[in-house]
Amino acid sequence: MRADSGGARQGAQRWLRLYGTFAGFVAMVGIFALMRPGIFLSPNNLRNITEQVAILAIVATTMTVVMVVGDFDLSVGAMASLSGVVVADLLIQGLGVWPGVAVALLVGGIGGLFNGVLVAYFGLSAFVATLATMTAFRGLALFYTNGSTLFSGIPESFKLFGQGVTLALPNSVWIMAAVWGVTWFVLEQTTLGRRLYAVGGNAQASYLAGLNVRRLRLAAFVLSGVGAALAGVVMTSRLFSAHPTAGEPLMLNSIAAVFLGMTMFREGEPHVLGTLVGVLLLGGMSNGLNILQVNSYLQLVLTGLIILLAVLLSGLARRGE
Amino acid sequence: MASFTEKMGEVSVVEGMQPLVSLQRLRKRYPGVLAVDDVSLDLYAGEVHGLVGENGAGKSTLIKLLAGATTSDGGSIWVRGRQVQLRTVREANRLGLAFIHQELNLVPYFDAVENIFLGHLYPRHWWGGIDWAALRRRVRAVLDPLGVTLPLTVPVSRLSPGQQTLVSIARALVDKVDLLVMDEPTAALTSQEIDHLFVVVRALRARGVGVLYISHRLAEIFALTERITVMRNGRVVTTQPSSQVSERALVQWMTGRTVDALYPPRTPPTALPLLDVRRLSGSFCREISFTLHAGEVLGIAGLIGAGRSELLRLIFGAERVRGGELLLYEKGVPRGLCLRSPAQAYRAGVALAPEERRTQGLLLARPIYENTTLTFLRRFAWGGWWVRRRSELAATQRLGERLALRSRSLRQPVGELSGGNQQKVVLARALAGEVKVLLLDEPTRGVDVGARQEIYRIIGDLTAQGVGVLLVSSDLSELLGVADRLVVLREGRQVATLAAGEASAEVVLGYCFGVQPAAHPTRSQGGVDAGR
Repeated sequence: MRADSGGARQGAQRWLRLYGTFAGFVAMVGIFALMRPGIFLSPNNLRNITEQVAILAIVATTMTVVMVVGDFDLSVGAMASLSGVVVADLLIQGLGVWPGVAVALLVGGIGGLFNGVLVAYFGLSAFVATLATMTAFRGLALFYTNGSTLFSGIPESFKLFGQGVTLALPNSVWIMAAVWGVTWFVLEQTTLGRRLYAVGGNAQASYLAGLNVRRLRLAAFVLSGVGAALAGVVMTSRLFSAHPTAGEPLMLNSIAAVFLGMTMFREGEPHVLGTLVGVLLLGGMSNGLNILQVNSYLQLVLTGLIILLAVLLSGLARRGE
Repeated sequence: MASFTEKMGEVSVVEGMQPLVSLQRLRKRYPGVLAVDDVSLDLYAGEVHGLVGENGAGKSTLIKLLAGATTSDGGSIWVRGRQVQLRTVREANRLGLAFIHQELNLVPYFDAVENIFLGHLYPRHWWGGIDWAALRRRVRAVLDPLGVTLPLTVPVSRLSPGQQTLVSIARALVDKVDLLVMDEPTAALTSQEIDHLFVVVRALRARGVGVLYISHRLAEIFALTERITVMRNGRVVTTQPSSQVSERALVQWMTGRTVDALYPPRTPPTALPLLDVRRLSGSFCREISFTLHAGEVLGIAGLIGAGRSELLRLIFGAERVRGGELLLYEKGVPRGLCLRSPAQAYRAGVALAPEERRTQGLLLARPIYENTTLTFLRRFAWGGWWVRRRSELAATQRLGERLALRSRSLRQPVGELSGGNQQKVVLARALAGEVKVLLLDEPTRGVDVGARQEIYRIIGDLTAQGVGVLLVSSDLSELLGVADRLVVLREGRQVATLAAGEASAEVVLGYCFGVQPAAHPTRSQGGVDAGR
């Protein structure tokens, strides 16, 4: 009899661990839908949500790659701000839209390369290295703009990325979908993705199996830098202005989204699918609480508690094994 | 019970006294191995008891049981005549058992005083501040009776290894200690420091402390101990008064006899050279030279820390080569090899099965097929980048059949497999490419007898196809049973190169320990004689 109830408990634990986050997501949708029928699930609001989460989803997707190799990148928010002000400034100075975007992405790539070299080749911990570059990127963005917001003189055509609409969906959502799709394909279907997961699973064993561990970690940081820069471009286009600290909230939210997603998989490894659910959970929460007109400061408290709950539950369930 | 009284009869020296600590019929099983098998041992106050055995004989597990770091599967532990349950190290400490491990666990930037009192209650002033003067007095009260003087206010990282050992002994002595267990305390010490340590150990003995002293250095065992217990394959072979055993007898007990049937017959090696190692040096190994021939198994013998793994890693490109050269023969033509990474080694046809399967070899959470194809993943991908799972699974299936891999499914996480099957996955990965030289580091550690035999069969198959194998093993009978020749390392140097026919366990172990091998070993007939 004891074994029986133990088995049932274990089954419940396993279920909770694997589907807890997803169940939380469904519960959240259900609660908001019931409390504000016809509003939360209206096509208009759903489009709102996707548009609101698109930028976060881009950052969180490339953050997933860094976390797959077992590191993380604290500099993504500052990098998004930096690339945002860079593209805005270049466009104000008269550079074409596409060259401007290309330069902004290049800035992201160089920043990511810098992070990657510090972590993979100089052996700094990802925490220390990206904390330092975060500060430096933030400083660069502030120095570049002298602390002010750039808005006058940005050409209308730049609205394409954040505000344009193609086939009934905002372009920002298409961009997010493309980033997500490519990242999914790379991580799940290519030799590169398999090796990235191998490094995260056991770096030493990967090295002894003949993998170039350093280059793989470097590649993950470069991807994350470019992703952050792309998010910065979309963000600037959407707001049609560039503020030197506009990207700051992206860092914690993207890491939180990946963590939420990690709870959904048996191995506890980051996965782009889980990250997407995590992003939608965070985005849906903030949208729904806004509709319910919950105090925005209190929203932060609730979001923090939800993250804690998800990670705690999955951790407890894991310990039960 | 009968065997227990027999043992009591053997040790007439201390008959009648109540043992301080008594281990009775202890058993500990790890997956695939019986690490401690029916071990009974009595330790007395005021006695230094030596514990010897080859690597893997079960000494460390026995100490872990005594320290409460792991729990036994059977048997009992008695302290001063009362049966005890040791579940944590703290419980063991509370009963008066203290442990000095090989790694000293000191806080490097704390001074000796703070390290000695780590984990103990600091004496305090009336206002709550730490009373440093009283603390130093109490530390001196520990050190002085032992005749030890140490710089007390310098970070311990600046002390010599010998002084650091004394610090960790002093830490153990802050509380009342009845039994001190010392695991290879002299591994890092100079001979002068060893002498000093001996003085301290003898002072402890004079105070009535019992000491269990584990060492590979037989000379120390003879110099220090009253009685010696020999372990082999998890069992106690014998316990003898130190004055009545010879070094040679000890070595024979430690090695035992080999089981011939375990090692399948192999085709003799060719005379074609495959790999030339010339005066190869690393950070520890110095000027190692040998030639590996096609179809040959070259065994590398030596104690833990003799540089065996480093030698393999040097050849594999995983460690920086500081001198010498490697030549790999391609159709009889030597080509200089300069391997800077394992990736290059695999491309040249050199593969390694590392010592620690779980931490160095495998992605435990990942499925079997992903582990198998990891190194040569490009071969299982369109254009070298789009992974074809079907081709991975097919190749893993083929290799698995060849190696008699047993699993529920090829998608099963490797961590769920037994030790032997995990090792087969590591081998399968190497065999997914073209292997010319296979480096095996302890391939049968933690592997049960059946899987062991299969691994020997795989080695035989590979060498029959012309692969050369370098085999590092702590299991001497395995080396003698499988290898065609042996290189013996001691402290990073090559001390002997022997043909398997002229090597016996006594001779090899003699070289390992740096003991002069006996001219005519008395028990070299049969068994140890290469087994084919």
